[in-house]
Amino acid sequence: MMSSMDSQQGFIEVKDLRKSYGDGLVPVIKGLSLSMTNRDRVVVIGPSGGGKSTLLRCVMGLEQIDGGSVSLEGKAYVKKAEGAKATAIDTAVRSSIGMVFQSYTLFPHLTVMQNLTLAPVKSRGVPKPKATGRAEALLDRFGLRAKANEYPNRLSGGQKQRVAIARALMLDPKLMLFDEVTSALDPELVSEVEQMIIGLADNGLPMMIVTHDMWFARRVATRIVFCADGVIQEDSPPTEFFESPKNQRTRDFIENVLHAR
Amino acid sequence: MQDLDFFFALASAPQLLEGLKVTLWLTLWSNVIGLACGFLLALVGVSPIRPLRWLYTCYIEIFRCTPILLQIVWFFFCVPILFNVYWSGEFLGLLILGLNLTAFNAEAYRASIQAIPPAHHDAAVALGLGWRVTAFNVVMPQAARNAMPVLVTNAIGAFQQSALVALVGVADLMYQGKLLSTQTYRPIEAYTSVAVIYLVISVAFGQIAGMIERRNALYR
Amino acid sequence: MPGFDITFVATYWQALLTGLGLTLRFTAICIVSGTVLGLLLALLSQSRSTALRALVRVYVEMIRGVPVLILLFWIFFCLPVVTGLEIGNFASSVLALTLFMGAATCESFRAALHAIPHDQHDACTALGLTTRSRLFDVIIPLTVMRAIPNLLSNTVALFKESSLASAVGTVELMYIGQNIANATARPIEVLTVVGVLYFLVGFTLTRLVSVAERRVLARLAP
Repeated sequence: MMSSMDSQQGFIEVKDLRKSYGDGLVPVIKGLSLSMTNRDRVVVIGPSGGGKSTLLRCVMGLEQIDGGSVSLEGKAYVKKAEGAKATAIDTAVRSSIGMVFQSYTLFPHLTVMQNLTLAPVKSRGVPKPKATGRAEALLDRFGLRAKANEYPNRLSGGQKQRVAIARALMLDPKLMLFDEVTSALDPELVSEVEQMIIGLADNGLPMMIVTHDMWFARRVATRIVFCADGVIQEDSPPTEFFESPKNQRTRDFIENVLHAR
Repeated sequence: MQDLDFFFALASAPQLLEGLKVTLWLTLWSNVIGLACGFLLALVGVSPIRPLRWLYTCYIEIFRCTPILLQIVWFFFCVPILFNVYWSGEFLGLLILGLNLTAFNAEAYRASIQAIPPAHHDAAVALGLGWRVTAFNVVMPQAARNAMPVLVTNAIGAFQQSALVALVGVADLMYQGKLLSTQTYRPIEAYTSVAVIYLVISVAFGQIAGMIERRNALYR
Repeated sequence: MPGFDITFVATYWQALLTGLGLTLRFTAICIVSGTVLGLLLALLSQSRSTALRALVRVYVEMIRGVPVLILLFWIFFCLPVVTGLEIGNFASSVLALTLFMGAATCESFRAALHAIPHDQHDACTALGLTTRSRLFDVIIPLTVMRAIPNLLSNTVALFKESSLASAVGTVELMYIGQNIANATARPIEVLTVVGVLYFLVGFTLTRLVSVAERRVLARLAP
């Protein structure tokens, strides 16, 4: 539990990020800059194709970029210099970041326990008993212990996503990224996953979340970022964001979304 | 290694061409049988009468679960005795290849018939079309179009499998190739030439089929 | 119809069963070698080297573009001339059918490989799995699992193609059957029994394919 630590400025720094698909044909992120402290929970919302998932993927180091950089605690782990041929990705730094995706995340050929212990044991050299113990503790904490030896196809969508989150937590990430993790779930199952994330947030885990669920965004965010047309249009604390948005574009989006609710 | 002499093989081209003519003849007519009878058999396969469907399944499974070589050998040796007929090797080959192709095509047609949205069938009933009209004017065109990729694959397969009739003495391309090899003591030139001919025709056939399929897709 | 007497075939039951056993053994050998070859080729087809990818493509197209019989004859008749080694009919048959099976299973594995959802690869990266771990703990097991129904169909096809080995004198069910048929001049009874033997195995394998398909796809469902 992080209590007496001061909030660390520049914990995550995204500087002038640029990315396009199809060899420069379709620009998705056009010079985006964002800064995050280690006490922040940033929720990124916006229209489809506006670049929010891509932003998350770039922060995770999954994508090649066209320019700019992403730094964790001052170390730039994703960068593309002018004239460089490829994106430089520092995998050592990247390993402190965890990410959970929208669907198909658990490995279907492994049990829940095997899913959880695979990365620590095989890639971090953690001894199997220790990893298993840690996994059991995590499953206990989230009420999933009974499913430890089941295969993913026997779990509900909500259970699968929660296991996926636990799997990422096994690696003690400094930052967690959640990419629309409830968008593919049946409505009744969304709440259990959101509650789990809220629990983690209340425990002080910094995170960046892409979601469509405005209630969830309001509840969990310290800041809400509106990403459209490849740049950040608005960046404010939740109350301010929803009640007095500065940007017309933001206003229109909130209107549409809140109306649909 | 003895010196390869492909010009010699070229000089034997007429012989290979004779064999190729037989192979193509077999392929063509077995496909005619296979395409036509396959469709009729498929109709049996989707019929609501259970004994008919059972007969269909028997026919299909016999051809699907046994080697084609066995089918060919059995046919060649047993049919003349059983039915007291004296047909030429080519004709027997044609028949068995056709019957075999009928089985595989029938399955392809059946799958595509069952993939036709039931709405079409209901519409036909609502319009009072008899089953014959429905079958040939509504079901067949759609079934044929949907099944085309598989039918083409089967056709190319039939072309290649026709080579097996050489083993029972039919003078097709493979047979001539084998003959050439033993006549000239040049197995490499002979068999390679035969292989190249099969390869070129199979690939060409596949490409043409691919083009037709793409054009068809455009019209949907 | 001249005296159709199926019981007399019973006197040859030992030879026929031996033949079936030889066919099954032969099939088993070629399944293993063909599947290993296919997996290797499928992995090579993902290589960064354009030359390697092209090589695999050419190999698969060539093997699939010619009758298996020609492959068999070429290996049996031409390879000894080209390499100076006497290969023999059993080895030739195994080699030919391995090459055939390799091409078929390569395509099965490639299809399975491409069917792995993109998010699974991303999850591997997000978890920081080493390349080795990613390949051996996730990608290969998932590919093999998804390829199993296809692989089983390839097995049935191989079982049927094994009869071609008789064309170069390899002793297996077809060869023995034909010999008995010729020796006894009663092709109908003998060949029918041979047919039934092939059918029983072929039919069982085909049913196995359906069962495997259902169970594997259930496990892999999202």
